[in-house]
Amino acid sequence: MLRNSIALKNAFITKILRTGWGSSATLAVLSMIVSLLALCLCSYFAGASPLQVMVALFEGALRGRYALTTTLSEWVAMTLCGLAVLIPYRAGFFNVGGQGQLEVGAVAAAAVALSLNAPRPLVIMLALAAAVAAGLLAVSVPLILRLRRGASEVTTTIMMNFACIQFMYAMVTGPLKDARSWYGTTPPVPQAYQLPSFPPGSGIPAGMWVAALIALAAAWLMNSTVFGLYLRAVGSNRPAAVAAGIPVNRVLTGAVLMGAALAGLAGGLQLLGYTFRVAEGWSKSWGLVGIPIALLGGNPLGVLVVGFLFAILETGARSMQALTGAPAALIYLFQGLPVIIYLGLRASAWYSRWSQAAG
Amino acid sequence: MEGQWWAEFLSAVLRAATPLVFCALGVLVCERAGILNIGVEGSMLLGALAAVLAAVYSGNPWMGVVAALGVGMLGGMILALLTVYLPADQVATGIAFNLVCLGVTSFVYKLLVLGGVQLMAPALRAVRAPGGPVSLLDLATAVTPLTWIALLLVVLIWIFLFRTGPGLLWRSMGESARAAHAAGLDVHKVRTVAAVVGGLLSALGGAALTLGWVPTFTDNMTMGRGFIALAAVYFGRWHPGLALLACLLFGAGEALAFRAQALGAGLNPYYYLMLPYVVTLVAVGATGRAIGPRDAGKPYPRG
Repeated sequence: MLRNSIALKNAFITKILRTGWGSSATLAVLSMIVSLLALCLCSYFAGASPLQVMVALFEGALRGRYALTTTLSEWVAMTLCGLAVLIPYRAGFFNVGGQGQLEVGAVAAAAVALSLNAPRPLVIMLALAAAVAAGLLAVSVPLILRLRRGASEVTTTIMMNFACIQFMYAMVTGPLKDARSWYGTTPPVPQAYQLPSFPPGSGIPAGMWVAALIALAAAWLMNSTVFGLYLRAVGSNRPAAVAAGIPVNRVLTGAVLMGAALAGLAGGLQLLGYTFRVAEGWSKSWGLVGIPIALLGGNPLGVLVVGFLFAILETGARSMQALTGAPAALIYLFQGLPVIIYLGLRASAWYSRWSQAAG
Repeated sequence: MEGQWWAEFLSAVLRAATPLVFCALGVLVCERAGILNIGVEGSMLLGALAAVLAAVYSGNPWMGVVAALGVGMLGGMILALLTVYLPADQVATGIAFNLVCLGVTSFVYKLLVLGGVQLMAPALRAVRAPGGPVSLLDLATAVTPLTWIALLLVVLIWIFLFRTGPGLLWRSMGESARAAHAAGLDVHKVRTVAAVVGGLLSALGGAALTLGWVPTFTDNMTMGRGFIALAAVYFGRWHPGLALLACLLFGAGEALAFRAQALGAGLNPYYYLMLPYVVTLVAVGATGRAIGPRDAGKPYPRG
């Protein structure tokens, strides 16, 4: 058993060391570049100049304090939701339920932040803890059904998404509804309990540091710990992992709970630091976009990078539409197309020849 | 009065269920051949848009149906290329396909309605125009022909899958692609056909949504109905008849939610909308037979 795990470890170390031109990171970059070109082409058909579209997109996201703060806030959710998909995916669990986990996380955080009356750090900590707990609760059903009944998590997490979103609607139109509002929304989180920017007054959301730290921690966990090794072993070859004596279900459970906790946390952070309300249509589809981000990112640091690009596009889309007339809906195209190109290329015979040649 | 309320309610259920039935059949046919058709949502959007555009520009709603079939076939072929021939991960590809379809349909619609005028498609007429006193007996004529086509397809697909030889072979792909291959069947060919049929049916679902219900297109107008169909197949244990039942149940939830509110029932309508998923999950947990075709979702390597 020991020898087996050593052999496994050596195989993985050589695999990590061998990341060069033939790596999937190259493919991811390539497919994103091709997709940006496709975006330019589409905007050309829409009667806008591709160059102006690109400039408007990036300027709208990065120029000026407000735009930058928005982009960084988007980045928080995109990174955490990307990790919420990535970590369970490594262990062979496709967490499509990030969106639902995020929604109930935000609802739980709102319930805490709106009802407690205590010192600021305490309320923020409790609200975020509630968000994490809600995320865990939301994933527990698909997880148990997978472990006990063998039910495919893809469909059950999708169903949980709908259940969670309807639950969120029921909450914001019911118990948590702002009495003064004509549509379904919670009251805003009191200023005293909102997440400050850090360093104070800089406009950089505190959540960004949290997300970045978590991504670094995840990178360490996945690349340099025994748990990370187990994770890959379970995800890439389950029977072999069982044979090597790895506690397969415990590793899977750990990874899934970690992912869901991060999605829930993303909901809490976005509520306390960015939107301040949970309402009908309050959130972007961060949980869903986490899937392309995780697939293209490939590892926690990659998620950080791809998440930033996606955050730029999300924020810049509005100014792109306003300045050039190219519809903001083009951004969805960018969220899906690179994944299709990436998956297609990676599965192709051409890639396996190329990666062997490039080493 | 009672009878009329029921008749109207039931026709609302059928109207809401029709797109779901088409999509559920699309998902079911694919899963039985071993393809997890997550791209159903995207194909549905493609079909919805194509149906509106073709119906508006030709003036004939049936042209809309034909156009939906066309784009559905195209979408299915793209999915087949990616998930059957390469083969790439079916779930990831499906989700990305949905995002691309969302982008493409919104973009194309924006390009064509630059003036900002909503295109209103000529809707498929019910045999008997709705309104006026409707009794239970009139229900059959108060729904669009697409509803009847959907019900007919349920029967046909059930017969094909469970009562014919080719249907048995088709199902064998879903249970064990390797065994089917060993028995001399061309797994990739059958799965390609399955993906295309799945695309066709999903796009028809989209057309049923626009031509039979809301005669225009808005961004992301399917709002997850493709995924609801996925849940219906799950609930229906990969059986056409039971899946139809699940679609009707889900449609009833949708029709009931806002009626119940109008009637002054105390419960928040969103709980009704939540119910189908909770029921499905509880059913999966309680009965423990949630495992569908064994090889669904597993790519079969070529060579």
